[in-house]
Amino acid sequence: MNAQQLKNSILQEAIEGRLVPQDPSDEPASVLLEKIRAEKKRLVKEGKLKKKDLEETPISEEEKPFEIPESWEWVRFGTITINRDKERIPLSVNERSKLEKKYDYYGASGIIDKVDRYLFDKPLLLIGEDGANLVNRSTPIAFIAKGEYWVNNHAHVLDYYHEDLMQYMCWYINGISLVNYVTGTAQPKMNQEKMNSILVALPPLAEQHRIVAKIEKLLPKVEEYGKAQEALDKLNSELPERLKKSILQEAITGRLVPQDPNDEPASVLLDKIRQEKKKLVKEGKLKKKDLEETPISEEKKPFDIPESWVWCRFGNIVKTYTGKTPERGNADYWNKEGLPWVSISDMRQGETIMTTKEHISAKAAQKCFGNQISLKGSLIMSFKLTVGRTSVLGIDAYHNEAIITINTMSDPFKYTRNYFLHILPVIANWGDTKDAIKGKTLNSKSIYNLLIPLPPYKEQRRIVAKLEQLLTEIDKLKA
Amino acid sequence: MAVGNLVKRLQDIMRKDAGINGDAQRIEQMVWMFFLKVYDAAEEDWELDAMDKGETFKSIIPDPLRWRNWAPSRDEEGRLKSDFLTVQALLDFINDKLFRVLKGEDATDGSIKGIQVTRDTARHQAVVRDVFQEVNQYMKNGVLLRQMIDEIDAVDLLDSAESHAFGDMYETLLKDLQAAGNAGEFYTPRPLTDFTVQHLDPRLGETMGDLAAGTGGFIISTLRYLEPQKKTANDEELFQRSVMGQEWKPFPYLLGVTNIMLHGIKDPMLFHMDSLGKNMSEYQEDGKLDTIAMNPPYGGATDSATKMNFKQEYRSSETADLFMVLIMQRLARGGRAGVVVPDGFLFGTDGAKLAIKKRLLTDFNLHTVIRLPGSVFAPYTSIATNILFFNNERAEGAPEGYATASTWFYRMDMPEGYKHFNKTHPILNSHFEVVNAWWADRQVLEEGEKSRSFTPQELMDMGCNLDQCKFPKEEEIVLRPEELLRQYHEERTALDAKIDAQLEEIEHLLGFKIKEA
Repeated sequence: MNAQQLKNSILQEAIEGRLVPQDPSDEPASVLLEKIRAEKKRLVKEGKLKKKDLEETPISEEEKPFEIPESWEWVRFGTITINRDKERIPLSVNERSKLEKKYDYYGASGIIDKVDRYLFDKPLLLIGEDGANLVNRSTPIAFIAKGEYWVNNHAHVLDYYHEDLMQYMCWYINGISLVNYVTGTAQPKMNQEKMNSILVALPPLAEQHRIVAKIEKLLPKVEEYGKAQEALDKLNSELPERLKKSILQEAITGRLVPQDPNDEPASVLLDKIRQEKKKLVKEGKLKKKDLEETPISEEKKPFDIPESWVWCRFGNIVKTYTGKTPERGNADYWNKEGLPWVSISDMRQGETIMTTKEHISAKAAQKCFGNQISLKGSLIMSFKLTVGRTSVLGIDAYHNEAIITINTMSDPFKYTRNYFLHILPVIANWGDTKDAIKGKTLNSKSIYNLLIPLPPYKEQRRIVAKLEQLLTEIDKLKA
Repeated sequence: MAVGNLVKRLQDIMRKDAGINGDAQRIEQMVWMFFLKVYDAAEEDWELDAMDKGETFKSIIPDPLRWRNWAPSRDEEGRLKSDFLTVQALLDFINDKLFRVLKGEDATDGSIKGIQVTRDTARHQAVVRDVFQEVNQYMKNGVLLRQMIDEIDAVDLLDSAESHAFGDMYETLLKDLQAAGNAGEFYTPRPLTDFTVQHLDPRLGETMGDLAAGTGGFIISTLRYLEPQKKTANDEELFQRSVMGQEWKPFPYLLGVTNIMLHGIKDPMLFHMDSLGKNMSEYQEDGKLDTIAMNPPYGGATDSATKMNFKQEYRSSETADLFMVLIMQRLARGGRAGVVVPDGFLFGTDGAKLAIKKRLLTDFNLHTVIRLPGSVFAPYTSIATNILFFNNERAEGAPEGYATASTWFYRMDMPEGYKHFNKTHPILNSHFEVVNAWWADRQVLEEGEKSRSFTPQELMDMGCNLDQCKFPKEEEIVLRPEELLRQYHEERTALDAKIDAQLEEIEHLLGFKIKEA
């Protein structure tokens, strides 16, 4: 429930006579009605109203929207209102700009300017005649103008037999749906005729006063409630993301799962990777310089990690390939039935990619990629514009140059691949805050130099298992 | 009898009772018993005073309902009385007689008439009915209730050390109430109230007021500040009349009255009324206050009737704004004020705020603005607040058209080692030492980022934007999961409590109740 719903519910109660109890000693609404009619007759005699202003269109039983208490009466808006629309005078922006700003100038939604004279000097009910507000109701349509003021042609000017009645009508109009009385979609309008036909459930005058007093007591509290509710909604909606970030941080600092002293430390894993790289150099698959490692100084290490872990450079422990985009203009390169080609929009964080939007031809694969396709099971990461989004390929596929394929080494069970799947998004975005790299783009050098806290091989699996459990639970929070 | 862990013992007893749910109810249950006990001790004082004057004292509480007559289970010699109430008899007595009569209704069996309060009833008598109209008796177990009463009765409030300890304990209770999420907005942390009062330097013989007194924090701080100034019997007289307060909401009113009585004021000048309910023009010179220290409520929407009590240019929907106008109206010439206001007041530029801030500069000496860290009111809220210090005087050297000569801003940073305050690590008096040091010898700090002064003209040129020396935009700190979730739960509990309280008030006005007590 939000505050608006509560407010509407309260106003509905008010309008239907259920907000305050009826008092049998109140003068019934029928008496009020007679007094109003007498008043209007008097105004006709004084020449302030015309005889046709006294006309009343009867209300049939089927028209009455709901049951009302005994002492109430169904009437039409026009019957109980004294219309002063003919006294309004519109002034253009130009005309107003020349005037001294002394008195309020009212339009459909309230005070829009100030002018040097006034037309009205008693409290009157103003109701917007046109404007989008009639439909979207973002601000109140009816409001009481006080003091000395001017009104243009965009708000009806209405007087009432008694101030309490005016106050009640203000709430009433703001509370009911005006859908049946507003015409036009592009230019909504509620003219005098439509407005006068509005059905009003009229309470006894004394009860009107009680209703208004009750509403004014309730609404500040509803607003208070609304603020607290909004704050609560915000708190709840922010929680899952904050929790995710927090858990990932625990993971990379080695505090998500306990260390097992029986695990082979990460340094051993690092050596195995070095051995594998040496072998690849012998096989001609790697260059000798790929074996070089720049040491990491103590100050550069972002935080403390457990004994069995080790800091290393990303480029030293993986092999990466950047993709390409075949020439767009060349129709020969693109083929709807061709080979899958991944762009960032195909990637969803942490998930497996099974289809791609675009496909390239065998010719493009050969010419642009030398047929070097990324194999199913490979880890890919975006590093331009959207930085650090990771996914796993569920199919063999090519990809563009904003994405790299990451091949882990000495990773028979894919523990490291899965570890990276989860933690690279955090690490890749350190560039932004830690070293203030402006703009959301990494390049091959900065990727190579990303500092990775590497856990023992077996611990990587435990970390991933825990992460996946937690992330599943956190996702349930979002529902 | 150790007052120290009295609350814990009481809470242990209450935990066994099926009728009580949660910290907030436990506190409410204790509070009315404390009130009656404290009131009974106060009546002893009043009786002595009456005897001195040759008058007879008449309590507003009917004899059988006075604490001294029904509560103790032992007589003066410590022997068990033969007729003390317990189990069902006790429950019936309390539910059908005590509560009803003190609320103003007749006892269920008609044997005692409800207490009558009229316009002429003295305030210290009327307060009994005010209190009992707002509290509830939740317990269902007469045996446990008897244990509670025995524990409370054992405190000797005539012994000043015990009374003092009881007063401290009561204050701690109020702090816990805030943490329980209920009535959190009526409690300002004591280090904050102490700091504010200290810099107003109230003197015996002056009157201090808090027009949104809540549970009485600023008043208590003032009393503590004045204590050492008491030297003669006449000073005691002045002390008794040194503080006054107004509070609109019934529950904090009851807490505040009890609190003030516990701190040595026999007849608290704490009025149960709507501070904004009187027309500003009705306030006379002689009702004005020498010092005002307070934390007005924020964010309440005010109805049109209330706004009418203020001049057109000051009409704001924000209650904090209207309170500022009220304070300016009630501060005597030469008076000093310290008011806690939200950031919104400092940077707000709507018509009313602008008019109010302008007046602060033209008619008052707004000499200091202290920016407080966001979590001062944790766990209740993390709203950013500030203390405005201003005097009703023309400062020396003030430029033409202004009463303020210069306004110093100071940003109070989080103390070393604290990321933010919370329930287990709240703000302390010691944290204000560095602020006091700066106060005595004001320097521009961090090239004006942390502290600097402005002339009133400079502030006007900025559209009265008092949001100066503000806190740097926070880098997103990723909290560890435990801390994150703890903070989340604290905030959520506070918000839930606020929502529940508001809904309850709304339900009450609509005439039904959803939640079972």
